[in-house]
Amino acid sequence: MGDLPVIDYTLSFPYTRTTGPVMGPFLTALRDGQILGGRCGDRVLCPPLEYDPDTGAEVAPDLVPVGPGGTVTGSTWVSTPTEKHPFAEPFAFATIALDGADTPLIHAVKAPGPVEAGTRVMAQFRDERVGAITDVYFVPEADAVEQTIAPGDEPVEITEHLIGVRIQEDLYPFRKRYAQALLDGKILGQRSPKSGKVYVPSRGYDNMERVPMTEADDVFLPDIGTVVSFTEITPIQYHGQTETDPYIRCAILLDGADQPVTGIDIRDLRPPEFKVGLRLRCVWRPPAERDVSELDNRMGAIPEGVYERWEPTGEPDVNPDELRGQAW
Amino acid sequence: MSALPCAVIGTGQTKYKRRRELTLDGLVREAALRALDDAGLEFTDIDAVVIGKAPDALEGVMMPELSLCDALGAVGKPIHRVHTAGSVGASTAITATTLVESGMYDTVLTVGYEKQSEGNATWALSGGKSGGQGAGGTFAPWIREYIARSKAPEHIGWLVAVKDRQNALLNPYAHLHIEDISIEKVRESPMLWDPLHFLESCPSSDGAAAMVLTNEAGVKRTGKTPAWVLAHAKRTEFSMFPGRDTTRPQAGVECAEALYKKAGITNPREQIDCAELYVPFSWYEPMWLEGHLLAEEGEGWKLTDAGDTALDGSFPVNMSGGVLSSNPIGASGMIRCLEAADQVRGACGEHQVEGAKLALGHAYGGAAQYFAMWIASAELNPEL
Amino acid sequence: MVSRATTLREPVAVVAAAQTKSHRRFEDAEPQLIMEVVNQVIEQSGLDRHDIGFTIAGSCDYLSGMPFAFVSNIDGVGAWPPVYESHVEMDGAFALFEGVVRLQLGDIDTVLVIGSGKSSPGTPRNVFPLQTDPYTMAPLGLDPISLAGLQADAMVRAGTATERDFAEVVSRSRRDAMSNPFAQVAKDISVDDLLAEPYHTTPLRQHDLPPISDGACAVLLARGATAEQLSDNPVWITGIDNRIETHHFGHCDLTTSPSTSLAAEKVGLHDGPIDVAELCVRYSPEEIVLRQAMGLADGTTINPSGGPLAAHPVMATGLIRIAEVATRLANGEGRRGVAHAASGACLQQNQLCVLDRERP
Repeated sequence: MGDLPVIDYTLSFPYTRTTGPVMGPFLTALRDGQILGGRCGDRVLCPPLEYDPDTGAEVAPDLVPVGPGGTVTGSTWVSTPTEKHPFAEPFAFATIALDGADTPLIHAVKAPGPVEAGTRVMAQFRDERVGAITDVYFVPEADAVEQTIAPGDEPVEITEHLIGVRIQEDLYPFRKRYAQALLDGKILGQRSPKSGKVYVPSRGYDNMERVPMTEADDVFLPDIGTVVSFTEITPIQYHGQTETDPYIRCAILLDGADQPVTGIDIRDLRPPEFKVGLRLRCVWRPPAERDVSELDNRMGAIPEGVYERWEPTGEPDVNPDELRGQAW
Repeated sequence: MSALPCAVIGTGQTKYKRRRELTLDGLVREAALRALDDAGLEFTDIDAVVIGKAPDALEGVMMPELSLCDALGAVGKPIHRVHTAGSVGASTAITATTLVESGMYDTVLTVGYEKQSEGNATWALSGGKSGGQGAGGTFAPWIREYIARSKAPEHIGWLVAVKDRQNALLNPYAHLHIEDISIEKVRESPMLWDPLHFLESCPSSDGAAAMVLTNEAGVKRTGKTPAWVLAHAKRTEFSMFPGRDTTRPQAGVECAEALYKKAGITNPREQIDCAELYVPFSWYEPMWLEGHLLAEEGEGWKLTDAGDTALDGSFPVNMSGGVLSSNPIGASGMIRCLEAADQVRGACGEHQVEGAKLALGHAYGGAAQYFAMWIASAELNPEL
Repeated sequence: MVSRATTLREPVAVVAAAQTKSHRRFEDAEPQLIMEVVNQVIEQSGLDRHDIGFTIAGSCDYLSGMPFAFVSNIDGVGAWPPVYESHVEMDGAFALFEGVVRLQLGDIDTVLVIGSGKSSPGTPRNVFPLQTDPYTMAPLGLDPISLAGLQADAMVRAGTATERDFAEVVSRSRRDAMSNPFAQVAKDISVDDLLAEPYHTTPLRQHDLPPISDGACAVLLARGATAEQLSDNPVWITGIDNRIETHHFGHCDLTTSPSTSLAAEKVGLHDGPIDVAELCVRYSPEEIVLRQAMGLADGTTINPSGGPLAAHPVMATGLIRIAEVATRLANGEGRRGVAHAASGACLQQNQLCVLDRERP
């Protein structure tokens, strides 16, 4: 039998950023081993901007080389870097007044220890450059090495950024009991202490009456119910999508429940046999094979990991008119 | 005391196609600068900025007002960020309106945007997991329920899909320009979520829309043609609860009732000249005509069928081509409000409804549970 | 820019306020936190939930790791029959700003304001870089702690503060938090003991940073006569305004906060003495910057709750400042106070809300 999941996932997506008329040349230059600033009135800003940061007024792109040397104007020593930082070992974030620029750039300095204001630093370019701010970093001038950078071919017009947020938590208390029940081949709901309505899966509270619910409100439901609505899904491909073939996703109103269980996947039945009003029974997987790892605190009701299929009970269909207000 | 009058005096839109040549800054600035130009104003004339967009995860930029404030000339000003799912563009316009109506700020810039090409909406709607059903998969069962109830014939959805794309041909900002759009083409496009075909669904667009809102003094000072915001309303209900009517959500009905009451409208179908309704899937045209009291229950599809909602019909809907032709999500609701304003300003060019004096802008979001609507009027005190 | 006070045409008051305990990890859903505080303010005011004119909530999808996470938060508020409500992807304090704006229109009498957040499932230090410039900062993982380190460094170098000053803020906050039942971090600890701790991000130590917290806050606003009906001790909002600065922190003098000073001018902060101030001090140096930018006199009690250094449920933190000031004034601990809220790193956006026991 499967275990209760501890939620640990990373919401991640490979975003693409188009770089535009100023950031594009700036990032292209970084890839090619050069840092550019942008003229804005009588100042040179680095990084360069499409607009005057004080007023929003338009600034015609006028990019000029700055650096590669500069002077640290302020810094902080990061003793415990995060996985998102440019270095795994302690380093400094610093404001760096690059030679030729009037505003400091905030960037990372790789150094053996804290970097004092006034320290001269030099840009160093990474071996693998993609046209990103991370193509460059800084070191104290004395540690700089001479680099020969081969420029790339195409201008950097689009960049990719895999952005991920890791989420770690336990199942909420009701979800824990609910998941355990599924592993036991049972469906657990909750009866509102105020309205008497039965919700499955419950959220652990009754939003209609705005009351929290506790273990005392738990009720088991039969694994038989009626199809109240469905969609035939033709999977759209996107990052992380593993579905390829069409299938049915339906909502089933379990006998005794006041709200349908949504998102149940059906792969062996098709319309017209599959229809609103059809009576279905859950055919559970053997206990040892049941898996609730798909459940988290938001998504998932009765995951495919616990059932083999939903089979027609053979009872007469329920008149769809009686299911009005349950379309989901 | 009551709300001070507020008017739209400038509007700006970007072309709603995939914008590979622009940064996020560039995208919002294109709309904002056009709106300012239309109003004859500059960033320095703006007292506060209100922005709206759908989830931050669509572009992977958290609380983007922080990184867009300087691009929008908001440094030294208040900036506010609204997020109410798909209805957000209209909600944002409404919040911006209240800033002027409150008397706290004279002239406000509002911007809604989405750069869908930076991320993927279906991914985001699926919580980043496999097996997402997309918005179409959520709405399809409700559409089937509407069809069953209203006994509408299947071609109604195709009619809407064709009509909105034909209107889009008259709107240079629209994303989709399908010159040879036809009933056959819609009907023969792939079935995505029964009964919705591919061409009955909205595209995925980049884009921004912006408006400059001001008070009576601002209208007088700039001398620009105003669209007065006669009324606005918002309503929300739960996404799911026992007995919920998903085809005609009560929140939508009550939102419309509140809106018309505030505007002094007693017969919306007759008194309103045209409407920009949030129709991301074809069938939502008749569903919202009914759900927002513009047609009797079961009668909405008959208006569509009779051509009443066409550009030259008795009650034109989605003159701009609507969400079916352009869907930069966070901007989509604002575009509805903006187009309603431009209609009564007489600024819609080829898709102008002649003599439009009162226009409805509308958006909905979430599981058809968030509603935001406004009425734009050519006159501050119209005779209804 | 025209420099004039942002005036309120309609008097608005806080008539009820509630906050949850600041949890290091709340084991249940965010709507449960919201339900707890919403039920409390409804009970305090005696108002029927269905009579609330407008509800406005602030929360953050990215903290929850789920796009559209805010949708389920409405469960804690109630939305059947349908309600008039909206949502900002900002701290609840900015939601309160919208609530005050909305009440000026004169057609509704009450606004329920909510701020809520659970930071515990994610790693805030890894999430918040996504607030910075998406081209030149976010890819570096430039996090608010590192940026606070740069701000603190700028202050020490400019001589506007010392590490001892930072430790004094922390020592006082932690001691004050001992009398705050909602606080997460409370301790009687001396400045010297704090200074003996190792650096985290120079010149900051771990204790200069806020805790990671889950929590929620709700405030009920009412206007005019309704406020006086709903509460024996309404606390009036006499000014509210926010201002933002560039996100290119390299362009800023981090030792000052011009946006805070501007907001202070707009809300008429210096029209009278300030007895109590609750400031959104997420990093101890911020208190010193804010005091100076707001021109707070020595007689002003600052962060008697312990402030965000003792409890930091992101998205509720700013609203809690307003709830704290309102509750203290209602209890007679002073006549006039100010609540500050901030958004972004290095005090990029700042809101001030002036509260007064006397109706304006």
